[in-house]
Amino acid sequence: MGRLFVITLEGSVYSCNHCHTHLALLDDIISKTHTNLILYPCFSLSTAGMERLISLIRYMNGSNYLFSFLMHSSVNITVGEKEERMMMTGLHTVVDIFCVGCGSIVGWKYESAHEKTQKYKEGKFILERFKVLGPDGSNYLVNHDVMVSGSDADNA
Amino acid sequence: MGGVEDDEPASKRMKLSSEELIHLSNGSTVKESIVGSSRDLMARPLQSDGGEEVVGSKGVIKKVEFVRIIAKALYSLGYIRSGAHLEEESGIALHSSIINVFMRQVLEGDWDESVATLHNIGLTDEMTIKSASFLILEQKFFEFLDEEKVMDALKTLRTEISPLCINHSRVRELSLSIVSPSHCFPVRSPKQDTSRARSRTKLLEELQKLLPPTVMIPERRLEHLVEQALGLQRDACMFHNSFDEEISLFADHQCARDQIPSYALQVDANGISLKHKLSGHQKPVSSVSWSPDDHQLLTCGVEEVVRRWDASSGECLSVYEKAGLGMVSCGWSPDGKWIFSGVNDKSISMWELDGRELECWKGQRTLKISDLEITSDGKQIISICRETAILLLDREAKVERFIEEDQTITSFSLSRDNRFLLVNLLNQEIHLWSIEDDLKLVSKYRGHKRTRFIIRSCFGGLEQAFVASGSEDSLVYIWHRGTGELVEALPGHSGAVNCVSWNPTNPHMLASASDDRTIRIWGLNNLSAKQKDIHGNGIHYSNGGT
Repeated sequence: MGRLFVITLEGSVYSCNHCHTHLALLDDIISKTHTNLILYPCFSLSTAGMERLISLIRYMNGSNYLFSFLMHSSVNITVGEKEERMMMTGLHTVVDIFCVGCGSIVGWKYESAHEKTQKYKEGKFILERFKVLGPDGSNYLVNHDVMVSGSDADNA
Repeated sequence: MGGVEDDEPASKRMKLSSEELIHLSNGSTVKESIVGSSRDLMARPLQSDGGEEVVGSKGVIKKVEFVRIIAKALYSLGYIRSGAHLEEESGIALHSSIINVFMRQVLEGDWDESVATLHNIGLTDEMTIKSASFLILEQKFFEFLDEEKVMDALKTLRTEISPLCINHSRVRELSLSIVSPSHCFPVRSPKQDTSRARSRTKLLEELQKLLPPTVMIPERRLEHLVEQALGLQRDACMFHNSFDEEISLFADHQCARDQIPSYALQVDANGISLKHKLSGHQKPVSSVSWSPDDHQLLTCGVEEVVRRWDASSGECLSVYEKAGLGMVSCGWSPDGKWIFSGVNDKSISMWELDGRELECWKGQRTLKISDLEITSDGKQIISICRETAILLLDREAKVERFIEEDQTITSFSLSRDNRFLLVNLLNQEIHLWSIEDDLKLVSKYRGHKRTRFIIRSCFGGLEQAFVASGSEDSLVYIWHRGTGELVEALPGHSGAVNCVSWNPTNPHMLASASDDRTIRIWGLNNLSAKQKDIHGNGIHYSNGGT
């Protein structure tokens, strides 16, 4: 293979799960509350409540809302073909993004949003939690095993 | 039609501007109408449409000027009768009669009369008149000296040259030359009449340069214009890549495509055999660099050590390392005495061949993935110092310059004459920068593909007129450097083409290396594939394993 062009980031870095290529900085996250919004109440719910929540999440079509980070920018990725996707928040034109090191899919990028309220997402990236290693090296699979069953369905 | 219009302002003669002759030493601008001579000329406004005949389809060539230039060319080719006939038939005199008188006087040595005529020509610039008088009187002075008429020469110097009050240092030299004849320049010691005449012709040429071009048309003006046109044709020719292309006047010059390498002469290792296997690196080798004398190789492992090898024996001569750090790039100084290396703590180190570290430039000088180049005068070190900037560090003057881009830089390549830098960007563009005095973006080249790898490009061809690059779509791209147009996209490889190298001495040979594990040598279609040694200095980098 040729010599990969890989940018090395400094600071708290999110990297690819498989090949540890740097993908983004902690500082690039747009909103963390975005991801934690529903999570916190979870811990006070009963098991039944939790199951209902999970099925609600499953209904969110293609939404990895809970399991993703909205980023300003991302490095060491290549993009795929443009697609129209119906998300929980409306119709968006997105491209899938892949790690340059191993080629695995790590998330997507919003090319354009059809709803006015979603325009802020244009040009921003989503990194899927289960594809990245956090800055402290933690893998989100370990921390949120309650949600694992839910996410498998989404990933299928 | 009077035909005598030598006092017209010098307008732009052709659509190709003649920069050195627009200057009017008689002080008038192009827009003003000119002061006529003492003779009966009307002042003509410059942009008069009626009354001024033009030739040529674009209507920018004035007939009078055209005929005068042709007459001048005929005279300088020696066709005196043809020239005179042309003047007579067209009714357009090459020079006004006063100029003819002036020229005759100069050639015959009637110095005082010629100076007087000079004043009558009607130049408005005092300086020109004085400088021309100075030249004439200088000639008079020297001719007196040659004839051993020292007192006359001295008298000329005192009463005629000095009062002009110009060029005082020359006046001093002239007075010195009375005392020591060998001191003066150019050596004017003609003993025969013929030599004296020749130097008078030279004087006339000097005077021509001084006087405005409308007054006396410069020598070889037509030849100069034709050469200019041919030069422009050559520059515009996108496929010009041969030494011996003859340019004819009869048709516009345009090379056929066949001078650009486009045919794969060799694929893989046919004719190239493995000489040595250099083992020793623990990590993948990221770059390779030939020494200036081609006897040694420098190799750098990825964040590892730098090794120096003897190319003929394959033996490792030295290892350069720094405790706790890894090297990321390597390069030679042009005299082969020092090694430069980028270190993964962002500094650049310089070593002597025996391993002693001489200097270290700390700070943000280089990145982990960066090229390192040293200019062939040894003065500048070039490296990628930030994602979007290249550092040009002058070692002696301790000056740093930066090329700033707005996209991430992946690699760069220095031209052989150290004047240009080819910068490869993340967004699939190649930018050409001039790095000589001011850093300036000159051109952009597009078309090739790059998404994951470091793709390298290079200069090449006759006078580095082309830019070649690899690409991730398996094609070799060649652009014409001047126009930016894509000339060729060569198919053949079955994997991403990582780097290209144009033979520095043979403009018809190009090498490319690809992920399909082959190296292709490209040449001209009509030549038989010769077994040539690839000159090692071309290929600097290898990508991938040991």
